[in-house]
Amino acid sequence: MNIEELNNALKTKLNFYELKEDQDSYGNPIAWIKLKEKKDIETVARTIKAYHGRCIVATCFQNDDKTHSIIYHFDIDGLIINTQVDTDNATIHSITSILPSANWAEREIREMYAIEPIGHPCKDRLFLDYSIAKGVLNEYIPFSKISVGITESDILWKKVNEGEN
Amino acid sequence: MKEKIKIGPFHPELEESVYFKLVANEEQIIQEVEVINGFIHRGMESLITSKNFMQNLILTERVCSLCSNNHPFAYALAVEKLAGITVPKRAEALRVIADEVKRVASNLFNVAMLAHLTHSHELMKETMQTREYMQDLKEIIWGNRMDMSANQLTGVKYDLDEKKIKLILETLQIVQPQLKTLKEKFETDETLRSRTVGVGILPREKALELGVTGPVARGSGINNDARVKTPYALYGELKPKVSLRDECDVHARAIVRFEDAIEAVRMVKDVITNLPEGTTYVEKKPQVPAGEITVRVEAPRGELLYYLQTDGSQKPKRMRWKVPTYTNWEALKVMLKDNKVENATIIVNSIDPCISCTER
Repeated sequence: MNIEELNNALKTKLNFYELKEDQDSYGNPIAWIKLKEKKDIETVARTIKAYHGRCIVATCFQNDDKTHSIIYHFDIDGLIINTQVDTDNATIHSITSILPSANWAEREIREMYAIEPIGHPCKDRLFLDYSIAKGVLNEYIPFSKISVGITESDILWKKVNEGEN
Repeated sequence: MKEKIKIGPFHPELEESVYFKLVANEEQIIQEVEVINGFIHRGMESLITSKNFMQNLILTERVCSLCSNNHPFAYALAVEKLAGITVPKRAEALRVIADEVKRVASNLFNVAMLAHLTHSHELMKETMQTREYMQDLKEIIWGNRMDMSANQLTGVKYDLDEKKIKLILETLQIVQPQLKTLKEKFETDETLRSRTVGVGILPREKALELGVTGPVARGSGINNDARVKTPYALYGELKPKVSLRDECDVHARAIVRFEDAIEAVRMVKDVITNLPEGTTYVEKKPQVPAGEITVRVEAPRGELLYYLQTDGSQKPKRMRWKVPTYTNWEALKVMLKDNKVENATIIVNSIDPCISCTER
């Protein structure tokens, strides 16, 4: 599989997308795809599956306007295909039922950024406890709160004073 | 009557903290598997964005001790690509040497733990003794038994003189035949075979579907070794021989790790006897413009991917990494089902889990 073949496979199924060719320092090809419609990620996933590819992982990040972008990193026999979808309503179309290798990546996005992968077969938390709110990576959380669960000085000193009494 | 069995989150037969809830039938055959993670989650991806590119090299070395060379290696490749820096050939060679020495030690630790879990204690001791040669080598050459700190942005921090080259070659001369003998013992030891052959099966189709990598994939006949599929550093010239098995069980994964180690020794010898002349790093502070890149390296446990996004400042805007255990975990549910409860920890060990990396 090369980028030209990938493009030929996609252009018959997708109307609007941007494809950029890139390579790493050793000449290994990398494809960057940007989708206009977020539901098109399902079409890309089906194409990856048809070529016996897999989802390596997915990266989510918050944009300056508070919308989110998700980059799915796919692989077809050594070719990395980075496919970006944007969302402004905190939902994406899950591809786990098409590519089970996307399972953990989508669950992690849900708990770290509060982006719901609609249609994901598993509702369980992946890493974070249920007591921690979804979208935790969108917030600033002091280290002391993570490690000892306290940060506000009033609460801290209240507990210290209680100990003295 | 069904029995609920809990393993973890802290258990003598688990190297790191994870929690398994198993449901077994009257014959102690596993029917259901639930895995609960998150005990070592440290929010490192968030921390990364508050450190500059130099500081992050130190941070990536500390994602976990077992993969402490692969993380900075992949990170350096990503930063160097964005900064447009080509590292000297000697640095590429030294990076391969550090990585492959680490691979031998890492794989031997895993198979030694397998021998331990199957109560083949003599075999475990022998395996750990062979590993000890590599640990000593790491300590002498790199100054540390786990965290080698070999990489820097634009090259490597260490160099090899004639005396050190001689020491490495002499050590490999001892280790190489021992690896072959150990592999034969693992292939023929009846106690070990009775606990590993046909145990923890991961069919090839399932392995493809779940996207597993490394020895777990190769033990099920799938070659997605990044050193071969997307060669980096000197691997394009070295052409690593990929070990593939089709038994899909715990034993196959162990033998793949031995063959990986044997091939690693071959590559270190090849590189070190033809070590390119020149400098070990580029004397230039990397100026990283806005951009994004994905790079991959092959860690002992499989594919390690780094995604780096920059905005022209001194810190990453976003960095994400995917370690082999991230996808290999899901495969455990397939491997554990329909196996005896007594084999659960052996099967878990067969994916060589690295939880610190996975949870970050």
